[in-house]
Amino acid sequence: MDYTVSTIAPIFLFPFFAFVINAFLGRKLPKDGNWVSLIGILLSFVFSLRVFFDFMGKYDTNFYVHKVFNWFDLSVGDSVFKIDLGIYLDNMAVVMLLMVTGVASLIHIFSIWYMSGDRRHGRFFVFLSLFTSAMIGLVLANNLLLLFIFWEIMGFCSYSLIGIYYEKDKAGDASLKAFMTTRVGDVLFLLGILAIWAVIGSVDYVDIYKAIAEGTFESVTVMGIGMTTFAAFTIFCGNIGKSAQFPLQVWLPDAMMGPTPGSALIHAATMVAAGCYLSLRMYPLMEAGGLTPFIAFIGAITAFGAATIALVQKDLKAVLAYSTISQLGYMVLGIGVGSYNAAFMHVITHAIFKACLFMSAGSIIHSVHEQMMPKLGGLSKKLPITFLCMVACTLAISGVPFFTGFVSKDRILGDAIYWGMMAGQNKAFAIVPILGFLGAILTPFYMTRMMCLIFLGKPRDQHVYDHCHQEHFSLTQHLPLVILSIFTLGVFFSGALIGEWVPVFGAKQEWFKVLIEAPNVNNFVDTIKSSFGFSDSVTSSMSVTKATYTHQLGYFGPNPDEHGVHQAHFIGAILSIFLAIGSIIASYLVYVRGITDPNKWANTFAPVYRTLVNKYYFDDFYLGVVIQKGLLGFNKFLSWFDMGVYDRIFIDGWAKVNFFFVRLAGWFDDKVIDSLVDLNGIIVKIFNVIFRKLQTGRIQWYLVVMFFSLVFINYYFLL
Amino acid sequence: MHGLLNWILWLPIIGMVVLLCLPKGKDQAVRVTALVTTLLTFLLTLVLYMNFDTTIPGMQEQFSIKYQWIKFFNIHYSLGVDGISLPMIILTGLLFFICILSSWTITKYVKAYFALLLMLESSVFGVFMALDFFLFYVYWEVMLLPMFFLIGIWGGENREYAAIKFFLYTFFGSIVMLVGIIALYYATGKGVDSFNILALQGGHFVENTISVFGSTFSFERIFFWAMFLGFAIKVPSFPFHTWLPHAHVQAPTAVSVILAGVLLKMGTYGFLRIAFPIFPSAAVEYSTVIAILGVVSVLYGAFCAMAQADVKKLVAYSSVSHMGFVMLGLASMTTAGMNGAVLQMFNHGTSTAMMFLMIGVLYERSHHRWIVRPDGTKGYGGLYAHMPKYTTIFIIGMFASLGLPGLSGFISEALIFLGIFKKFTTITVIAVLGLLIGAAYLLWMFKRMFFGEAVEEVKSYTDMNAREIFYMIPLCVAVIVFGIYPSPLLNMMKESVGSLVSLLGSFQ
Repeated sequence: MDYTVSTIAPIFLFPFFAFVINAFLGRKLPKDGNWVSLIGILLSFVFSLRVFFDFMGKYDTNFYVHKVFNWFDLSVGDSVFKIDLGIYLDNMAVVMLLMVTGVASLIHIFSIWYMSGDRRHGRFFVFLSLFTSAMIGLVLANNLLLLFIFWEIMGFCSYSLIGIYYEKDKAGDASLKAFMTTRVGDVLFLLGILAIWAVIGSVDYVDIYKAIAEGTFESVTVMGIGMTTFAAFTIFCGNIGKSAQFPLQVWLPDAMMGPTPGSALIHAATMVAAGCYLSLRMYPLMEAGGLTPFIAFIGAITAFGAATIALVQKDLKAVLAYSTISQLGYMVLGIGVGSYNAAFMHVITHAIFKACLFMSAGSIIHSVHEQMMPKLGGLSKKLPITFLCMVACTLAISGVPFFTGFVSKDRILGDAIYWGMMAGQNKAFAIVPILGFLGAILTPFYMTRMMCLIFLGKPRDQHVYDHCHQEHFSLTQHLPLVILSIFTLGVFFSGALIGEWVPVFGAKQEWFKVLIEAPNVNNFVDTIKSSFGFSDSVTSSMSVTKATYTHQLGYFGPNPDEHGVHQAHFIGAILSIFLAIGSIIASYLVYVRGITDPNKWANTFAPVYRTLVNKYYFDDFYLGVVIQKGLLGFNKFLSWFDMGVYDRIFIDGWAKVNFFFVRLAGWFDDKVIDSLVDLNGIIVKIFNVIFRKLQTGRIQWYLVVMFFSLVFINYYFLL
Repeated sequence: MHGLLNWILWLPIIGMVVLLCLPKGKDQAVRVTALVTTLLTFLLTLVLYMNFDTTIPGMQEQFSIKYQWIKFFNIHYSLGVDGISLPMIILTGLLFFICILSSWTITKYVKAYFALLLMLESSVFGVFMALDFFLFYVYWEVMLLPMFFLIGIWGGENREYAAIKFFLYTFFGSIVMLVGIIALYYATGKGVDSFNILALQGGHFVENTISVFGSTFSFERIFFWAMFLGFAIKVPSFPFHTWLPHAHVQAPTAVSVILAGVLLKMGTYGFLRIAFPIFPSAAVEYSTVIAILGVVSVLYGAFCAMAQADVKKLVAYSSVSHMGFVMLGLASMTTAGMNGAVLQMFNHGTSTAMMFLMIGVLYERSHHRWIVRPDGTKGYGGLYAHMPKYTTIFIIGMFASLGLPGLSGFISEALIFLGIFKKFTTITVIAVLGLLIGAAYLLWMFKRMFFGEAVEEVKSYTDMNAREIFYMIPLCVAVIVFGIYPSPLLNMMKESVGSLVSLLGSFQ
């Protein structure tokens, strides 16, 4: 297959055109043009499916397509400065592309059901299409600048969708919070881009890989910090903001103000995972910069901390929001411990089961018009299909064998064990796997708690229960849920679980493990950039190892201890199977059988409970101390200083001093003025006449003053 | 094509004369005359663009005009256009046309108002076209007069103070500049090219010295600062910025638009056309100072903007902040940074004009501009629900202003940062904070004005009418198109900017 404008660009352009059409004509089209958005994303999905199967046919770890076109060119003579954009497709991008378009298609279908009759129906689909196209653009991008552009556009869509019910003050607060919090990371990310550009004059992925392989960054420092560390840190900050990692996690729970399908797409499946996608793309940089332990710690803290908060949430969307933060923490943890393949697999598997969970949540909320769990209960009889889909996803997120969560998360945890405890590194690194496993105990617990409170037991609020209609299979409502819950089965990602005998993709059961590998920077020393045109058919560029990359700061080293890794994975898998199942049973016993009253525990550990309910007081600290007292206080002071002190005392005061001298000089030089500046006098007189007609009062006095000061300054400087 | 610049320059004056000859009481005829004049002028600037050769670095000979004016002093009436001035000329043409439309509701001294606006337009064109230093200065000063009256007569409650402040502040700067002009006149030996800007360029004064009270100073250093002061007040760069909030708050909408959209750019244009090329070695030597003033402006303006309760004052301070980015780009003296600076001049012109126009539209309905009233209650609220069209256009302008990728502000800011990072790393790291605060004050303002329950009086506001939407469309298009495809603008300027960069480079 050729990778040209006509085969690749449509993937991005179909949703984009859907956005343009809906933005201008949406209100005039039947059904607000939601079918335009749907057709756009479905066509896009078809095109990306084609690319995916082409890559599967190649079945080559090192295969990639890199094509560029010129955006603008400022070169003049010898000085060259131009910005090229383009596409970069490797196995990871293609899998990501398929996930994005696939999940987005299903969410579009679901949204048609969920949003029908909503007062912001048309607006919702406009932003949904724009978002989808931006996310696709981000995946296709061949360089960090283009990625950043789409990254910010996604932020804008997220902002717009969170604030879509704009008559609520809370929606405004939440959207502002989301945009500004992620912007903190984005600004730092931009610094990383600038730093790389300053050294190698390009931010193409391949050029960055090449520069790492050749050691171009090694002797460079930025503000006294090593270049690779600086760039890796700043770029990772982008990840922290976008993926709601500690300490910028505060925005994601509030982002649930938006419509639920929007949360499913943006704040669960794609945009937040794009942060991890960025770190995976820049993995060689993170490794060369020695940032991996930092990343692992951030991920571990987030994974555990968010899971603890999820335990006490009453709003079912809030539980899902914190579980998203927690799962994103696992991805980041995976990146940190060098578990590249599993971290990316978790991006994909999480997108599938979390999108399904959110849509199920939407299905519940739409059916009962209630999202506070203490008012639900016993809904499994009324919503059987939603219940079954949600059970599958809960098993997946809990890490029960045969489901995707097991495949991805347990490999991350296995690698974490090796990295933190067995690779002979700093002893403190053991905290990472410990926190990871503690989170893995909590995840099944709070998920089962949520399921029990919603679906099992007796209805806690009979009115709400009676209000809910009996659910029947409907194409737009349930088909997306069912399809996604089928894909929560681990078999699609790893054949190892069920043996070699299931014919998935021929003999390619382990396709994910084989195809996704951390980029080997040595392969990029000779990079070929062909132009992204309509007819060009030069496709792949696979090169032979030329330079020797000596920086191996990641834990794997040149030859990772295969036996140790295997052992760690074995321990991790056994441990997490028992933890997951035990935790699910424990949660079931507590919340359905009532062997103990959770409220009693909350009272016993009241300070802990309060801390969790208040989300560790991060919001209070940021809003109350950093923003209200710090930033706004400083702003008020500066503004007062500017107008009240600087302008009034210095500027106006200085003017008054001048007026004094003007009068003095005017009195002194009375006669000389007349003769020398006659012309000026005439001009001023003319305007005096005009002015007298238009305005009376002090202005004339000012003109006289002006006139004298002109004269004075003339004399002062010229004589 | 030879007389094109003359036509662009004098057409507003012709329109002004026609308009003044109209009989009393024909307000509508006055408006239409002004509108037709500015429309024709704008179309002529587009003709200029179409005949512009983007491959020539310097002045475009086919447009140049030169007549002798005052023979004794070798002063010429000399006009020209190159890649740096052309974007500004087009911007001027566009914004004045829009401003006439937005001033349709002015009822006080209609004739005088439109006459002064047209006079202002002509003088702004004069500044961007003049190639004779004296002529430049004349236009620079003439421009002050209509501005002075426009603010002083059609302004808000405190208009006289603001007008005087604006006048004296900028006048002070230009007097200092005048000293520089006269010094150059003597330094070149009162020759034929004493006032010829192009001939003065190229660093001829590196060796010159000047003695003041017996001590010897470098001529270039002294008079670079003289020029710098004149232009920096106009930009306005910290610490010469305090006239701007006063002037903006008091000025009527159209004047604010012109002030922020075009007049501020005259300051940075002065750097590009005069201060840098005439005194290149001093410019290179003091680039750190310029960069520091730039970054202080960026942050100081942004922090002050965030504290404002008056939405127009907020946008006024945001102009200080955004023009600080231009200063940073100028200080970088690299291809990317300089092009970014010129592009930012244009992009800030469109996006900030949008902001001021939108505030003007709102002001016509509400007659106040409080985000939060002095007594702590909400000034607006719920505009989103009650003025959907207004909100949509406001969002486009606001996000262009805060530099969202895909809209124009991003590219220029990114280019400036790409250009400056290597040279002033620490300053860049501080300056990107401006992007963060920039988003914060705009979005916070937006949140307080547009979200939530509407206050009672907002419910009576009507959405934008056809005229208002009509004049916002060109700006929306410009902001979006140049955000995605900036090449038309960049191709226009890159040769001229490139030659300036290489000139500065030879003094580094």
